[in-house]
Amino acid sequence: MVKVSAVRHVRGFDVARPLSISVMLAIMLPLVILPLLSIFLYGTKNGLGSFWSALIAPEAIFALKLSMATSFWATVFNVIFGLFAAYVLSRYDFYGRNAVIVTISLPTAIPTAVAGFALLLLWGPNATLGRLLNMQGFQLMFTPYAIILANIFVTFPLAFGVIKPVFDTMSRSLEEASATIGATRWQTFWYVTLPNLRGAIVGGALLTFARAVGEFGSTILVSGNLAGHTQTAPLYIFAKFNEGQIEAANAIAIVLALLSFVIFSVLFFARDWLEFEAQEV
Amino acid sequence: MTPRMKLAPVSEELHVSWAPEREHRTGIAASVRGISKRFKKARVLEDITFDVAEGESLVLLGASGSGKTTILRIIAGLEQPETGYVILHGKDVTDLPARERGVGVIFQAYALFPRMTVEKNIGYGLKIRRRPRKERKKIVNDLLTLVQLEQHRKKYPWQLSGGQQQRVAIARTLAYKPQVLLFDEPFGALDAQTRVHLRREIRALLRKVKVPSVFITHDQEEALELGDRIAVLNEGHLEQVGTPDEVYNHPATEYVATFLGAANLLLGVVTGDFVEIGAARVPAAKETARFRDGQSVKLVFRPEDVCVSPDANLPEGCRRLANAIIEEISFVGAYERLNIRLDLTHRRQAESEPPLYDVTVNTPEKMRGVPIIATRPKPDANTTKYKVGDRVAIGLTSFSLLPNYTLARQR
Repeated sequence: MVKVSAVRHVRGFDVARPLSISVMLAIMLPLVILPLLSIFLYGTKNGLGSFWSALIAPEAIFALKLSMATSFWATVFNVIFGLFAAYVLSRYDFYGRNAVIVTISLPTAIPTAVAGFALLLLWGPNATLGRLLNMQGFQLMFTPYAIILANIFVTFPLAFGVIKPVFDTMSRSLEEASATIGATRWQTFWYVTLPNLRGAIVGGALLTFARAVGEFGSTILVSGNLAGHTQTAPLYIFAKFNEGQIEAANAIAIVLALLSFVIFSVLFFARDWLEFEAQEV
Repeated sequence: MTPRMKLAPVSEELHVSWAPEREHRTGIAASVRGISKRFKKARVLEDITFDVAEGESLVLLGASGSGKTTILRIIAGLEQPETGYVILHGKDVTDLPARERGVGVIFQAYALFPRMTVEKNIGYGLKIRRRPRKERKKIVNDLLTLVQLEQHRKKYPWQLSGGQQQRVAIARTLAYKPQVLLFDEPFGALDAQTRVHLRREIRALLRKVKVPSVFITHDQEEALELGDRIAVLNEGHLEQVGTPDEVYNHPATEYVATFLGAANLLLGVVTGDFVEIGAARVPAAKETARFRDGQSVKLVFRPEDVCVSPDANLPEGCRRLANAIIEEISFVGAYERLNIRLDLTHRRQAESEPPLYDVTVNTPEKMRGVPIIATRPKPDANTTKYKVGDRVAIGLTSFSLLPNYTLARQR
């Protein structure tokens, strides 16, 4: 018989584990969890009916639609341009390349109000480029186009930042192999490069969209904040809050919170899926 | 040596099967003429010229940094040479981009497309060429059979072993009937056993498809086994191009002699039909023919070319070199290795003299002897045993003479 040791090891109880988890949750509670929770609690305080009627108010619907549309176009532009910029900057070396990379990433660090202000200075009705447009009978500022422009400016580095590292780490020999097999640059990009970037493109697009939907600082300067015309969802929340219509503001706040929640869940949980795909398909 | 390049017109229709149509042709498949290249200021390639015959496999052998990869990339069109031409089947392709050259490159890490199945990888070249679906399917099926991957057709590259991936990479290039196959260190990433196994497989496959191929490697064993001919590169210039036998047994330069296996080098002077090395006179009527009298030469021989005898009687076909003393005996698996010190200070044995001199090399004047290395196969080692300090006679079964350029330059 094998001698059984006299002292059996009992699985110990580690105090550090529950303790540190509770401390972490205690810090997060007032900072993140409670504020989010309060939106939902207040918004539905008077029943779902009043929430619903606040939501389907024409101005609210318009604000949500405008936010979606402007964010969508900003995302489309920034993903395409980000892809292109990442391709150029990781495939070609040229004088001042690093300066360009820094400049592209700069908008992340610029306060959004500054960004909006800068756009006004350039495109405003009395500004250099704005006057040129005015002579053509076109006004850019205080229109939905201005909102798209501001969104593009502010979310510029996001898609680029996600796509560029994937380009950098992608083996050059894949593209070289494709070329020696006989593919044109375009065919190589379409059949070889792009499929490898799918995860980065989806991720970059979601990030850009989420950021654009919530954009406030620059939008409020360039849009004119005209209800039913150039008022996006965050501006609507701000306006209704100022007017004391907490319920109206709250309804939209819930929608925006849920939207960002969904986007980040996708980003978080699809990450594994996207990387798995990158390997498998 | 290499046949002269002929710029014969090549028929438009180059390939019918993987290459059988070329069997009756005895032309040159690929040819590199006077290629030079520099990166920044550093000269990488200097006037490289060689040919690859139809169905032949040529190995570019060189240490890392010798420029072999650059040559491969220039042939493939992934790099531009500064001077010189690349000619594929009689057509100057120097200015053509990679995609119009129709060469097949098997990259070191295979570079299979990770998001395509085995089938799709192999069919890629045909898809790019917009071949009809039916034809594509047939060719892919044939290739899957050829490389024995039928049951893996639906798998993705990461699900395959290194050897299987390599076969996919080869099949992927064969699909569009490449003018020439270029292998970039194909076994670099594999362990020693797989490597030996795979290179036999590839050799067999290449014999079957008869596509001319260029391998690059730094492994001399690999070069000797894979190459119909070997081109030895050293710091950007070609040292020698020849069959494995030529390159190994008749190295053209000291670098080739020492890079391919072990070699002994002795300094000597040509005197008539003999080479004089110190006091030793080795008859070498054939070898000295291309040298003038009194020219300084290097005598090069392999350890296995050395015959050792306990008395003056050297075996038939062995040319007497000198007497020597055994300094060290080591057993290296398949053979025995002897470190021997040659006595080159004494005169050659005269008629009346005893068969062996007192070799002086084991005395305080030891440094006067010249060390060489000899190997003996097991049967010899077992029949005649030596111990350290034994005096022996040394002969050579074969050797080659190289001009002693170092000395010539010093003059």
